[in-house]
Amino acid sequence: MADTKKKRYALVLDSKKCINCKACVVACKAENGVPVGKFRDWITEERRGTWPRLMATFDPEQCEHCANPSCVRVCPTGASWQRADGIVLVNYDDCIGCRYCMIACPYNARYFREDLGVVDKCTLCAHRVDKGGIPACVETCPSKVRVFGDLEDPSSDVSQLLNTRRFLVKKPETGNGPQLYYLL
Amino acid sequence: MQTIEWGFLIVNYLFLGGLSAGLFFVSALATYLQEDGEPAYPRIAKYGAMMAPWPVALGSFLLIFDLGNWYRFYKLFIVFKWQSPMSIGSWLLLVFTGITFLGFWAWLPEETRHRLFAFLPKRLAFLKRFDVSIDAWKRPLAMAGFPFSIGVGIYTGVLLGAVQARPFWNTNLVAQMFLFSAFSTGTAALILALSANRKELDFRQLRFLYTLDICFITIEFFIVLPYLIHGKLSVLAVQEALKLILGGPYTLTFWLFFMLAGLLLPLFIELWEMAPAFFQKATIHHNKPLASIAAALVLLGGYLLRYVFVYAGQISAFK
Amino acid sequence: MEGNRIDRRKFLQVTAAGAAATALVTQTGCLKYFEKGGGAPAPAPLVVPTACELCPNKCSVLAVVEGGVIRKLNPNPENPKSRGMLCARGNAAVKQVYDPDRLKQPLIRAGERGEGKWRAASWDEAWDYTAKKLSEIKQKYGPEGTLWASTEGFQEIFFRNLGSAFGSPNIVRHPTLCLASVNLAYSATFGTVPSFDLLNAEYVIMSGANRFESIITPDTMDLIGSAMNRKTKLVYLDPRFTVTASKADHWYPIRPGTDMAFILAMLNVIIGEGRYDKEFVATYTTGFDKLSDHVRQYTPDWAEKETEIPARDIVHIAREFADAAPRAVYYAGRRSSWYKNDFQMRRAQAILNAVVGNWDREGGMVPNAKIAMGEYLFLPWDDPKAARVDELDKNFPLAAKGDGVYLKLRENVLAGKPYPVKGWMVYKQDPMNALPDQGMTLKMIQQMDFVGVIDIGMSDTAWYADVVFPESAYLERTDPVEAMPGIWPAVVFRQQVVKPVHDTKPNLEIVQGLAKRLNLSDYFDYTMDQWVDAQAKDLPVDNPLAYLKKHGVLGIAEPKFGGTLKPDHRFVTKSGKIELFSERLQESGFDALPVYKPPVQPPAGRFRMVLGRKGYFTHANQTNNPWLNEFYPENDLSINPQPAQNLGIKTGDMLEVSSGAGTVRLKARVTEEIRPDCVFMLHGYGKKSKWQKLVYGVGASDAVVLETAWDEVSGNAAFHETFVNVRKA
Repeated sequence: MADTKKKRYALVLDSKKCINCKACVVACKAENGVPVGKFRDWITEERRGTWPRLMATFDPEQCEHCANPSCVRVCPTGASWQRADGIVLVNYDDCIGCRYCMIACPYNARYFREDLGVVDKCTLCAHRVDKGGIPACVETCPSKVRVFGDLEDPSSDVSQLLNTRRFLVKKPETGNGPQLYYLL
Repeated sequence: MQTIEWGFLIVNYLFLGGLSAGLFFVSALATYLQEDGEPAYPRIAKYGAMMAPWPVALGSFLLIFDLGNWYRFYKLFIVFKWQSPMSIGSWLLLVFTGITFLGFWAWLPEETRHRLFAFLPKRLAFLKRFDVSIDAWKRPLAMAGFPFSIGVGIYTGVLLGAVQARPFWNTNLVAQMFLFSAFSTGTAALILALSANRKELDFRQLRFLYTLDICFITIEFFIVLPYLIHGKLSVLAVQEALKLILGGPYTLTFWLFFMLAGLLLPLFIELWEMAPAFFQKATIHHNKPLASIAAALVLLGGYLLRYVFVYAGQISAFK
Repeated sequence: MEGNRIDRRKFLQVTAAGAAATALVTQTGCLKYFEKGGGAPAPAPLVVPTACELCPNKCSVLAVVEGGVIRKLNPNPENPKSRGMLCARGNAAVKQVYDPDRLKQPLIRAGERGEGKWRAASWDEAWDYTAKKLSEIKQKYGPEGTLWASTEGFQEIFFRNLGSAFGSPNIVRHPTLCLASVNLAYSATFGTVPSFDLLNAEYVIMSGANRFESIITPDTMDLIGSAMNRKTKLVYLDPRFTVTASKADHWYPIRPGTDMAFILAMLNVIIGEGRYDKEFVATYTTGFDKLSDHVRQYTPDWAEKETEIPARDIVHIAREFADAAPRAVYYAGRRSSWYKNDFQMRRAQAILNAVVGNWDREGGMVPNAKIAMGEYLFLPWDDPKAARVDELDKNFPLAAKGDGVYLKLRENVLAGKPYPVKGWMVYKQDPMNALPDQGMTLKMIQQMDFVGVIDIGMSDTAWYADVVFPESAYLERTDPVEAMPGIWPAVVFRQQVVKPVHDTKPNLEIVQGLAKRLNLSDYFDYTMDQWVDAQAKDLPVDNPLAYLKKHGVLGIAEPKFGGTLKPDHRFVTKSGKIELFSERLQESGFDALPVYKPPVQPPAGRFRMVLGRKGYFTHANQTNNPWLNEFYPENDLSINPQPAQNLGIKTGDMLEVSSGAGTVRLKARVTEEIRPDCVFMLHGYGKKSKWQKLVYGVGASDAVVLETAWDEVSGNAAFHETFVNVRKA
């Protein structure tokens, strides 16, 4: 754990390949004990057109582990906090359940856990990552949409993809600095 | 998944907190302004001080019970996160509530105070040592409380305004909007209190309240107007958000019940009441039912303003 | 007095300070440590490799067990077919084990069939009763009076063997509800059913086979990567705008049932313009001249009228397809239970694939390779004396013998001809939902003297049974080693991850319990371990059983192409060549070359019901899995806005959908994503079993409204031939 090299975890998503199969949603649910009806990650569908000129695209979404997370800023107790490597977490013990962070998140990535009275969200499977693994959603994807890695490492897949491909991020105008990059 | 997390408990708290802030502010003003070494408007000062603690106390209870883990509310008071409006607000609320209770105590008539302490059970008799008058603290408390009442009145707006994710809220004007609305509701509550009094109607103090409320409502109106105009001329997300009150589900509530019934109608009633004083330097009209209606409308308007903002705000989003 | 006051003030001050200090301390560490139960580290989790059972893909899974409970299923990267992934339902299999509504013990019916009154029984009681009833039926009607219906699975063989050892010829399986026609068509042409190398293909045409939505297979994964990375061009034909349509380079909303016209027109262009692989055709095929003459009539202009696909495009596609060959495939698909002409349509596909010479080449169709495996030699039994009740030899001479033709079988059983069938044993199957015209299936159930079901959950068929045997879920059992032939062949192993949570047994033990009481124990006197040992010992790896237990899979990652491309290679066909013209078909009285007959279109005001799947449900299964159900809690009828408007239908309106088979009620979903002449509903809802709480009475069952039809050559059910009336309820 005394890794002095600075890290910045992020996800790069080649969502052209996303087929809305929900594997990542269920894998996350299984891995992290997410209650039925709540989601740490989900697939956003965009469908347009009139028969037979139609389109449909799918974007996986979840907590963006922003560079400038408004959820961390507004938390009155400090339960919402961000690690040095960029992963944003919620400390259950300190969360009073005021849900201000849920309202402050432009991506609506958080959900309320009635059973514990706290707010929860994607943790980028920090428990897996810290042991050298990858998030469950990344591991399970059949279409290989998701790439996980360290942006501070120029040789990582995520760095190489962002350096060689066009990409966009969602809702940049809110100023949160989201760290999910969608390849174009 | 966008959900509505803050519901009626929060709307109620915002209204009640603002109401207390307004009550205290007006009471403090009435205390601070002196005539011959005495508070210039003693009845206003007394009613205000005695009413002030209760709405905010109730509101705070509602707030605590809205929490996922209500018993953890104390955690708000072991850190100070200056970037979190809620953290700042919690501390402000703590101090303000304390001051309002002290104010209540300061203005409590000696007789009543003795009677209240008589209710203490034998075991807690040692608390009787607190049956002292803090009469002398009235003015210092008022002065100390000014910034906190302004703080409580304004921070509820900052709470919403600081959320850039909700384009309905994220404007510089929301804080002031809530502040003046809070002051207006406090004034209205005092108008009601004074009007309810069976004794002689104190036209002089009523006039003071009307003057205040006319100012507050006018200022509030000229905050809401730029909010709407600037919003329509702002980025797309804000324009879309405003549609919620310009054709969307909250249109009727906002325009008919808040703007018209909650702002403009009471304003006109109060102007009419004050009209003789403007033009003839005569005393004001006093149509008690009308005054009470105006005051009630202001209170309703203040409540609905917060209702619309809390709900519409949570529905608005950046696409 | 003063002194007192000072003391008390001090006292209050000290207590206040003390309280604050305690508050501080409780927040910083100590109590938190106790709250979290800090101290002893948790034991390391156990990881057990196994193979998933939620669909036929059999992906390899690493099951993580903590404290005796399955915590998570992770993909096993060692399986070359599952490519290191695990799909939605694969992940959701945990819920199958810990489903509070699954079967927990044997049940015997206590009320009327379908009433849902059950009596918990001991295994002995359930076995005794079942064996008694089966024996009674054998006495009165002969062993052929029993029907043994099952769906593919690693332990299916024991069930089928029991039926056969019992002496019944009436073993029926699922292929004629699914893929019998495509398999038969390719077998009739190539002598075998090949796999498709979508990883390396450059041009892929798919009729339906909605690989990006209805199921996740290696083909899904290979194709999405190559299509989205612009290595492969995808042309897709479907009356619906599915996920595959959204990813395809070209999607055509083809008129239903006319795919054959499209293919024949392609042949017309490719052969007419000489773009076929002349050398391949000359060396490996027979009947080309007849084919060439035959397709002359099927011009693109003609095909445009049939399919609604522009003739220009047909020509263009045909040319591109031929030019991309051999890295060009017309994908066969899997579920071919669409139209009454499916066999011949798939035959046309096979022929098209053959003439462009993509056989046994990289990027083309590749005959399956296998990994050699041993087998357990059990005591064989005599062949059954009676002929099959579906009279396969007479009605479907070319159909696979061991699979039966399900719908013909039901028809005969209902008629009591050629002889009565009075006992029905079902394993891992839900005929109430799998067969069309649920009313008929119910009649068949009511005709039975005995219905016994072996299943994991209370399916609709189990709901109507007399005895229900609870099978252990796949994560609770060790199964026979399973071979997975293909381009990247593998052998997968399923081993027990946790002990059965309830009083359930693996199928082999259930079968053995019955066998004992039917005096058939000699044929089943082995254990699973013995069976597995016999299979594993011939595997091409050191210490094969230990290897399988440790890795869960043995795969070949390097495919081989061209093994059959030797001029003297003998294909498993009558002529020994790839049969473009099939004498065998001719001899059996069928068209030797695909002859196009325009399909019947729905009469005015009615709609063709088309079916399709979602990859997170397994047919009528898994809709009750809470982790999957939440993606689609209730099925609805997809209908195009044009006809919807004419009928005054909006999304959410309750509809009445009726056909000759029955009527269902379900909500409308008005969507642009379907042809105006078609409607669509998802499978697996409107259940009658009250134990499937999430889908009991929710939505509707398509089985109720689908009419019975089948392909005349293979006997494969035709599920897209039902024309329905739709109106607001």
